[in-house]
Amino acid sequence: MKRFLHKLSVRQIILGISGIVSLLIFLIFCLVIHLESNTQVSQQMADRWSEDKNVSQVSCFFSANVDITPDSIEQFRHTLDAALLEASIIQESPNAGARLWADAYSADGKITLKSDRTALEADAVGIGGDYFLFHPLTLLYGSYFSGNDLMQDYCIIDEDAAWQLFGSSDVAGMSVTIGDIPHIITGVVRREEGYLYEAAGLNSTLVYVSHDTLSTLGRSNGINHYEIVMPSPVSQYAYNYVKEKIGVDEREMEVVENTTRYSLANRLKGILAVGTRSMNGKAIIYPYWENVARGYEDILNILTFLSIFFLLYPLTLLVICLVILWKHKTWTFRSVWNVLRDKWERILETKREKRKSKKMREKS
Amino acid sequence: MNENGTKRRDWVKNAAIVFLSVLLVLTFFSNTILNYSLPEVAGQYIQSGTITSKIRGSGTIESGDLYNIQINETRTVESVMVRAGDEVTKGDILFLLADKESTELTTAEDQLDAAILEFEMKILSGDISNAVINNVQRNNISSVSQYQSRILAAEATIESWQKKVDEITTKISELEATINKLGYSTTDASEEAKKLYNAQSAYDRKNTELTTAKSYLSSLQSDLAKAQETIKYYENGLTVSGNDPADIQYAYSQRDKLPAMITEAQATVTNLQTELYNLNVEVEKAKAAHESKSGNTGSINSLKIELENWKLELHAKEGSLKEAQEAKTQLLTDIAQELSLDAQSDTIEKLRETVAELRAKAIGAAIEAPVSGIITSVLITAGADTVAGTPIATMQPEGKGYTMSFSVTNKQAQSLSVGAKADLVNAWYYNDVEVTLASIKPDTTDPGQKKLLTFHVTGSVTTGQSLSISVGDKSATYDMIVPNSAVREDNNGKFILVVESKESPLGTRYTATRVDVEELARDDTQAAISGALYGYGNEFVITTSTKLVEAGQQVRLANK
Repeated sequence: MKRFLHKLSVRQIILGISGIVSLLIFLIFCLVIHLESNTQVSQQMADRWSEDKNVSQVSCFFSANVDITPDSIEQFRHTLDAALLEASIIQESPNAGARLWADAYSADGKITLKSDRTALEADAVGIGGDYFLFHPLTLLYGSYFSGNDLMQDYCIIDEDAAWQLFGSSDVAGMSVTIGDIPHIITGVVRREEGYLYEAAGLNSTLVYVSHDTLSTLGRSNGINHYEIVMPSPVSQYAYNYVKEKIGVDEREMEVVENTTRYSLANRLKGILAVGTRSMNGKAIIYPYWENVARGYEDILNILTFLSIFFLLYPLTLLVICLVILWKHKTWTFRSVWNVLRDKWERILETKREKRKSKKMREKS
Repeated sequence: MNENGTKRRDWVKNAAIVFLSVLLVLTFFSNTILNYSLPEVAGQYIQSGTITSKIRGSGTIESGDLYNIQINETRTVESVMVRAGDEVTKGDILFLLADKESTELTTAEDQLDAAILEFEMKILSGDISNAVINNVQRNNISSVSQYQSRILAAEATIESWQKKVDEITTKISELEATINKLGYSTTDASEEAKKLYNAQSAYDRKNTELTTAKSYLSSLQSDLAKAQETIKYYENGLTVSGNDPADIQYAYSQRDKLPAMITEAQATVTNLQTELYNLNVEVEKAKAAHESKSGNTGSINSLKIELENWKLELHAKEGSLKEAQEAKTQLLTDIAQELSLDAQSDTIEKLRETVAELRAKAIGAAIEAPVSGIITSVLITAGADTVAGTPIATMQPEGKGYTMSFSVTNKQAQSLSVGAKADLVNAWYYNDVEVTLASIKPDTTDPGQKKLLTFHVTGSVTTGQSLSISVGDKSATYDMIVPNSAVREDNNGKFILVVESKESPLGTRYTATRVDVEELARDDTQAAISGALYGYGNEFVITTSTKLVEAGQQVRLANK
């Protein structure tokens, strides 16, 4: 080692060290990208839904002009069942009630909650289907509710809203009135914090109610998000199916395959689409989780770009080294072959010697 | 060389000390470090209990039998004596009305004047017979069966005359055939024929005179009837348009004079009838003479005379038939006019009654409570005008119940049955309120997907009050109940994560284990499950965690 270092010039040593540091930085970036891409639980429904990799999560975001109703979503569900049956995709789980797919929809709006203490007007998400399967918010107290529950007079509030309404966070099971109709608080969640979340729209109290409650007792902007996790036996099957069958003009909606949005291929596409990626000709207002996910896309694209840079540097050095060594080589392929064969024969000779000495010891 | 060797040994020694120190620290704090890297979970043990699926809803209390208070006049309300919520008994004054003729009274008076005018103009038009007018005035209107009898009698008369005409026509045809068959006779019977002709001519003239006399008699009778009618109207105080005292005077004079003239005309008719009878005897004699002169039967002249006689008879019978037909037409006209006049007379009578009634109400009128109960709403203010037929207040009659209703989904309605008792959400506000599910019907706004639940409400509630209730009587007991937050789902179905413990040299380690379950029932907070759980309630299920927990993952318990 010492002799090897003595052979190198100072310049070569500096270049070598910088190459190793660059490679380490690349590895650190890879680790960071991996960790960051896994922080978005709303994008990982497919992983949670099935251990097999044959399911995909797809999200649709509709413009304000689109008139999506629970009935039209119900119609889509029926066509999906028929399509899966036609594709011979059937439920094989022995567990009764196991489903092939799950979906959720939501609408943005405003709603006013009243407790005995005060009234609170807050941003609201009116949910339908299994919204909290897709968005497992951090529950502090209570439980989630589903759009498939028998009753729909539930709400989930964040701890800030709980504090304003009751002066406490432990309020699961208590009642608030929305439009003079009593609603039960089934859970209290922790509001995500951070500059990305605040910039994405999660900068004030957010209340989750059923779509029925929001549309009848609050001010709803209509259903503008739909998401589904479903079997995708071949690549992009789920994405294409939802895009074609959801019944909305492509110009009025954005369809995202969440499962692969942070894959290397998509990150490279994002890097190449710099300049055009920010353009948007659709009147779509993204919910906060999609804004955060898009923010993370940008961050991961930058990290990917930097990681490529830090990978290219040692690779370039390596190639240069190899070219120099090639040019100054003192060996031929035949000499290498002879050396290797010689070493192999020595190994065999050594083994034979060992066996012979072992037999001798046994005899003696 | 020795110095270098010493330095190298120091370096190795220092490195070994540091390495061992780190190992020692990691060994001591390994469990703590491990624990802090694990997701912290909270949960509870599986329990047994009851799940009751309750349906909640809110609705507004409405009267079960709302009573509308209204009047059929447009009147100005002078004062409102009650307010919503007031309890009143039957007969209590609710509204005072201003002393002013209503629009309906003015209208009714106008309608009465118009109806009288029309009635009188119809009578005086001359198209209606006196008999009809007399019948209407005396209110001597026949029944439908009587009208029918008269029409049938008229038709029978026509039929009788028609039969006679037909018989004579047949006879004439036979005679004409016989004459044609026999040819002309040479016997001279011209003198007898001349006598017969003269006798017949005398008979015809007398008959004409008789007809004229009868017509004169009829006109006299008509004039007398008109005079009597005019006098009657005058004496009953009915105003006849265009009438004046001279006419009345003339009517009186006619009534006095005409009976004598009618008697004289009737005598003349009687005389003429006697003379006509005598002339008829002469005609018969002349006929007999003519027949005897002209020979036996078979004589053509005789047959011709007989033919002429039958033709005369046919003419007379056709006249009678025509008269009968005209009589029937007149009868039908009279019936129609009589009914029409009677209807008009009834209308006038009703209008008179209406006017009298409205006039009686015009002054000092008030609206009283028709039943005992509670005023639920007052829909008019003092100074405002009522609208006929529109409620001005509503009442909840005493002893009648209340209702409330709200809409639910078909799925929610499936868990309910009529007769179920509902619980009030804020039960402490009320002490005697009972709510019972009375009906489950399709909601007309969305009959395919929703049902309208109607509840019968009794107790201390008032109309317009909002009530929140929960109803549901299908509860069941289950062996394994977990919080809703413990039940998770993926494409293999629903499952729970059970914490399993394992002792190790560094302490107890907890692992989350997946157990597939089937959700049997669910309410607001708990879910009943069934699955491969054999711990008889000793399983600790994870409800919440600080991070996402996967099956098989090591976890740490909260507060451990």
